[in-house]
Amino acid sequence: MEVFLKPKVKPLIPVEAEVLTPDRFAGMKLSEIEGLPVYVGNRVEKLSDYFELEGSISEKPADQQITILGDASRIKYIGYGMTAGRILVEGGAGMHLGSHMSGGEIVVKGNASDWAGAEMSGGLISILGNTGDLLGSAYRGSREGMTGGCIIVKGNAGIESGIFMRRGTIVVEGEIGSFAGAHMNGGAIFIFGKASRGVGAEMRGNGSMIVCFKGVDSLLPTFIYNTIYKPNFMRIYLKFLFNTLKIDKAGEYFETPFKRYVGDAAVGGDGEIFIAET
Amino acid sequence: MEVFSDVVCPFCGCLCDDLEITVENNKIIKTKNSCAISLSKFMHHEDNRLNYPTVDGRRTDLVEAINESAKILASAKRPLIYGLSSTECEAINRSIELAELIGGVIDSTASVCHGPTIITEQSIGLIKSTLGEIKNRADLIIFWGSNPTESHLRHLTRYSMFPTGLFTPEGRKNRFIVAVDVRKTKLSRIVDLFLEIEPNKDFELISALRAIVRGVKIEAEQVSGIPINILKELAERMKKARFGVVFYGLGLTQSEMGDMNVNAAVGLVSDLNHHTKFVILPMRGHFNVAGANTVSSWLSGYPFAIDYSRGYSRYNPGEFTAVDLLERKEADAALIIASDPVAHFPASAVEHLTKIPLITIDQKVNMTTLLSRIVIPAATVGIEADGTAYRMDGIPIRLKKIIEPSEGILPDSEILKMMIDKIRVLKGGY
Repeated sequence: MEVFLKPKVKPLIPVEAEVLTPDRFAGMKLSEIEGLPVYVGNRVEKLSDYFELEGSISEKPADQQITILGDASRIKYIGYGMTAGRILVEGGAGMHLGSHMSGGEIVVKGNASDWAGAEMSGGLISILGNTGDLLGSAYRGSREGMTGGCIIVKGNAGIESGIFMRRGTIVVEGEIGSFAGAHMNGGAIFIFGKASRGVGAEMRGNGSMIVCFKGVDSLLPTFIYNTIYKPNFMRIYLKFLFNTLKIDKAGEYFETPFKRYVGDAAVGGDGEIFIAET
Repeated sequence: MEVFSDVVCPFCGCLCDDLEITVENNKIIKTKNSCAISLSKFMHHEDNRLNYPTVDGRRTDLVEAINESAKILASAKRPLIYGLSSTECEAINRSIELAELIGGVIDSTASVCHGPTIITEQSIGLIKSTLGEIKNRADLIIFWGSNPTESHLRHLTRYSMFPTGLFTPEGRKNRFIVAVDVRKTKLSRIVDLFLEIEPNKDFELISALRAIVRGVKIEAEQVSGIPINILKELAERMKKARFGVVFYGLGLTQSEMGDMNVNAAVGLVSDLNHHTKFVILPMRGHFNVAGANTVSSWLSGYPFAIDYSRGYSRYNPGEFTAVDLLERKEADAALIIASDPVAHFPASAVEHLTKIPLITIDQKVNMTTLLSRIVIPAATVGIEADGTAYRMDGIPIRLKKIIEPSEGILPDSEILKMMIDKIRVLKGGY
């Protein structure tokens, strides 16, 4: 079942709307959803002050789709902590998109802002445009960022993407900002555009892997060159990206050899950076 | 004529507490032991002063200015309070109380200087010591991206380079001094080893040092413009030092990816503690910026970038930091306390600041007061008002009041108390 939210205004002060999840909507009446609280500065307002709602509501979150018909780039916390269901944003999305989510799917057709998928533990986020900084990262003070799930960005990603990543997968089809995967302690990052400076800085290992298909701006001196080869597991990963996640670019690298670097030696880490030798 | 001894200088994070100030007829006529900046601060504190409150450029009395400010702040949806680093702890205390009362965002100047230090301090800690301990014990001192000969003028003579101490009886001779910077400075001429590194390459250099300290062989011949054999020598020297110190400044925190730079530097010092005693200290700029973070931490749980809009404190640098908030055009009113953001913020942030009701509490005319709707003059802390400030190493020191302020000019804390009382009345006694 699908409920449509049409933005009424572009708010000057960002709206914190963590109620925008299938979990919260499921089992409610439309009139009850309209009255759900959103936080605008120091005031509490209603969801209906910012959106026109229509559609049908399911009993279970897993059967619920929420479609935002327009730009939501000043709406924060869309899909915060969701466990099931689907959210489709036709325009852009504000900060903290899908942060702490553990299941379900979010698709954003425009750009997403900072902290998209921060500390998420499951589910899928697809961003068709660009995303801001700290994609799938840990919040300041936390030692664990993304612990599961998958984020796909068709455009570019900002700085410090995937910092403190613990598990899960991030795929960026465009370029990625500096210090991607810093402090990484598990999980995988695939970068199909150019990777910037500091990729994998202070990476600890624990099976963590960063794959750079278009090279790195400047690899840290503390990543030690190991070998050049065609790892079998890479082909399995790439087929998964190509067939399941529909990343067409992955198909170009099935037979590509990769240079393997291990680090970050500055912290005694044994994480891996693979750079495609094209 | 009266001579005040052991006066504390309210300018930089050194908080030198050995000044002698001579006062005659409520005027400062002489200072002793002060550096050039301190001398100027004491001798010219009356220049360029704000003498009366104004509302929309019109002279008014304090009560009206407070009432108008209270109306703006009580009705704002997303008020911002910013500054704090050049005032004393009681005023900072009241500012946080005010932020909670109005459900606003409060941020200090730390967010545009040592913010990365504080983020790191929270995430992995900071191995510190007092400046007194450094004076008495340190035999290896590294200045990284900091130049005290321009910013903290008495730092070298009082704490780090020249003074004699319990275990450093010969002063300068007992210390090996290293400077790391992107250009030659006055400091680089008087140190034992100067590393001129490529701009924005601090992280790579620190990482390489960390790896060498761990015994890893680095394949590169040079890192950040420094040959690897020099780094090896430095790493050996660091491991063999009896007591090492890294003093770092904005060269590290405000170059590209400052938080990663500081994180790596703190990590290096942490690693070195497997071999010897090593500490790291930020060269804090404003005299009480450390106090702003300390007071804020004990009251709200967080050091800067705090949002009270939901009635409780939330912390997120990048979201609730003043520059980011203004660039996104979120704030709808601002109260500036003892700071000049118009002169220092990026144009995009200042542009929004000029479009919202702006209230400034300051001692002197500055670019922010010129653009403010309401301006309230305040007494100069450490000269006309007493209070507590935190030195760069976290030691609280009591500032002295040595002269009376002009009639009707109150300290920041009293102005803020009046504002809080008025807002409580406007909010129905909340």
